Amino acid sequence: MTNRFLARLGRIYLGLILFFLYAPILAMAAMSFNASEFYQLPFRFSTEWYERLWRNDEILTAAWRSVWIAVVVTVLATAAGTAASIALFRYDIPGKRILQVLLFPPIAIPWLITGTAMLIFFFGIGVGRGTPSVIVGHVALALPYVIVVVTARLSTFDRTLEEAARSLGAGPFTVTMRVTVPWILPGIVAGALFAFAVSFDQFVVSYFLSEPGDTTLPVLIYTAIRKGFTPEINAISTIIIGLSMAIMLVAARYAKFGGER
Amino acid sequence: MSGSLARTDRLRALALLSPAYLWLMAAVFLPLSAMAFFSFLSDVPFGGRDWQFTLDNYRAFLETPTYATLLWKSVKLGLIVTALSVLIGFPCAYVLAKVVRGRSREALFLLVILPFWSNSLVRIFSWAIVLRGNGILGSTVDAILPWDVRLNLMFSPTAIVIGLVHSYLPYVILTSYLALQAIDDSLIEAARSLGARRRTILRRLILPLAAPGIIAGAVLIFVPVVGSFMEPRILGGRRGTYYGTVIEDQFVAVFNWPLGAALSFILLAVVLGILALASPAIRRATL
Amino acid sequence: MAVVRTEGLVKTYGATRALDDITLTFPDGGFFGLLGPSGSGKTTLLRAIAGFVIPDSGRVFIDDAPVENVPVEAREIGMVFQNYALFPNMTVAGNVGFGLEVRKVPAAERKRRVAEVLDLVQLGELGDRKPHELSGGQRQRVAMARAIVTRPRVLLLDEPLSALDKSLRVEMQIELKRIQREVGITTIFVTHDQEEALTLSDQIGILRDGRLVRHGPPREVYDNPRDPFTAQFLGEANLFSGTPEPGGLRLADGTLIPGAPTATIAVRAEDLRITLDEPAAPIRLRARLRQRIFAGAMGTCVLDWRGNPLKAIGRDQDFAGLPAQGDVWLSWDSADMIPLSEG
Repeated sequence: MTNRFLARLGRIYLGLILFFLYAPILAMAAMSFNASEFYQLPFRFSTEWYERLWRNDEILTAAWRSVWIAVVVTVLATAAGTAASIALFRYDIPGKRILQVLLFPPIAIPWLITGTAMLIFFFGIGVGRGTPSVIVGHVALALPYVIVVVTARLSTFDRTLEEAARSLGAGPFTVTMRVTVPWILPGIVAGALFAFAVSFDQFVVSYFLSEPGDTTLPVLIYTAIRKGFTPEINAISTIIIGLSMAIMLVAARYAKFGGER
Repeated sequence: MSGSLARTDRLRALALLSPAYLWLMAAVFLPLSAMAFFSFLSDVPFGGRDWQFTLDNYRAFLETPTYATLLWKSVKLGLIVTALSVLIGFPCAYVLAKVVRGRSREALFLLVILPFWSNSLVRIFSWAIVLRGNGILGSTVDAILPWDVRLNLMFSPTAIVIGLVHSYLPYVILTSYLALQAIDDSLIEAARSLGARRRTILRRLILPLAAPGIIAGAVLIFVPVVGSFMEPRILGGRRGTYYGTVIEDQFVAVFNWPLGAALSFILLAVVLGILALASPAIRRATL
Repeated sequence: MAVVRTEGLVKTYGATRALDDITLTFPDGGFFGLLGPSGSGKTTLLRAIAGFVIPDSGRVFIDDAPVENVPVEAREIGMVFQNYALFPNMTVAGNVGFGLEVRKVPAAERKRRVAEVLDLVQLGELGDRKPHELSGGQRQRVAMARAIVTRPRVLLLDEPLSALDKSLRVEMQIELKRIQREVGITTIFVTHDQEEALTLSDQIGILRDGRLVRHGPPREVYDNPRDPFTAQFLGEANLFSGTPEPGGLRLADGTLIPGAPTATIAVRAEDLRITLDEPAAPIRLRARLRQRIFAGAMGTCVLDWRGNPLKAIGRDQDFAGLPAQGDVWLSWDSADMIPLSEG
């Protein structure tokens, strides 16, 4: 009896947490459909802010730049990350533990430190700010995520399948492309989606590495927020958060993290 | 195994590994070294500026009490946010791992983790919309309570803490959930059959076994919060000066890069110290 | 020590009845084996006695006191789990002492009792080890020690030996019996291994689809299984059905079995005789030998009688003159026929 009572209490608690997590996001989204420029209530439905967004060249350019940067980052990080995962899985490399530990700094060191260090370095070698620097930085941040996700999938891979293929006369390249990669494909897809999300949502590193006036969407939003809030920011934020949540839902389907084993 | 086969294997491994690790080298480890180098310079070594090696930047940190005060302020913020996140998040992870059963568990877990993977800047902005004076929270409280309350949490340390807890709470839920899920239910049943009550089971069994997960989550929250600058800027306004915002200023407003590098490097030392202290727990949690 | 009694226990999971009206008394100080195929409800019954499963209806009594409102932790039971469920964060001594610690037994007494029980299970010097440093058999002993150190009223064992390999299992069976006898505690254990149940128990209960099919002392149940399920589940039995006639039982092929007491009878595999020449015995059948299996001292013959598989077990020399395959004669003594009710 007390058990059932506690279970109900637990569920209520879970509901409160979900409310805490989602209420502000939903409130922000709701305000993007409110006619008042000063977020005044009562609520009057309007799509004006989305229409304005559509006519705002600065935002559209930044959005487009964010998307194509994320695509480039996804391709590069997924290819390099998958290759490294396969090598770490297949070969008995001396110092494997060190290689695995080296993946942590990009995740564990605050992006403020990584971002400013990149800024210094890219200026030091004469590359400076700009989209190429942003891409290089994003790939470095996305790589560990790809490797972690693909490695997790590889750990479910039965090594004897590779041995069976080799016993049938397949060379290492054929084995990789015909046996290994098809098996870990869900992991690769999940890793790619993570990489896209890391790049598309990345603010800190982009903030330090992008050229003023030539920025990505999050950096543009940050600058706009500091000037003052407008429902237009709500509108573009709503689009961004909807998009990134949709991407992660698809990624979760492939990665199956947290599911029953 | 013959030597030549081992060598071709080694070459293949090298070919597969080098793109990723060279990239990390060029984009993370060399920059961190460059930052260490810069922190000992009197001025930036390009654009025809005069520069020499100096310890002035570190001396500035030691001699100007503001920096140490702000670092302590940031560490305190990190401790508060971490403590709140653990206190709020662990029970949530427990309910998910041990109370909710069947298919709904996976869906609920995904719902809890999902915001964590969405844009953090946008989520902080959403709190600004909620917390601002005459904002949604203010209006709602006003409408419910009969007397006149001027609830304005915006631009206060409270707002910063709320926003940061919202940002990082899923971290500790994720790591605690994974640790709790690894605890076999039969252990809890065994403890009950030996006469242990709920509180004893929690204290002697569940908390010790979930500790690596909790510690890993706490570190993963504490580290970025100490280095946060965007959240205090947006939610703290003029009162939102923290160690992170000072570093940001050195690079985007004051343009004293060597000082910024030194301040960043001191922060990195603090972070690495904490990571080193917690690494046994993190390793156990990720195994 | 205590008498455990269940009265009309029912537990359903969705459409399946895990427990279907189980009324049973577990005698004081006895070793009661619950036996059945997987899914028969034996573990559910054990967990209902422990308090982990709340029955839909029916009651559990320990020493005539109903316990439905007593939570697991207050039932004063000891339980050994299939995977032992040793606490990985505690030492062997910590695991064994946990129940005493919870009961607020003073440290000095706790230490003495832990040492005592570790001696009983012959692990005296391993108190400081962690569970992961122990072998399977040692873990089993720790789990046993942990369950009995609190001097529980009932000891519940859930397939306690199934995780061990065969030779260790036999050794632990003897060990388990010795410990139970020394402590003299009412013990209920669940197993799907009939040999284990027959070796250890002084009473067994056989379950099938949530129902108690048969219970009693092992020899009595084995010798007189009464129903086809029990006959086939305990040991190897061959079943014959036919139409009762004044002279005996008329089988489908027309053979008359004189003296058969019921429409269905069982003959144990070890009671079947196989000969090449027609025997003089009054009960005899023509059957086909399909295969002879050599298994050391004992051998098995697989036979076919009108499409029904039969099995005979004997010492290898009993089957010495037989061909690998071919037609043979089967016979048995009328005293070896076991009468069965319909089922």
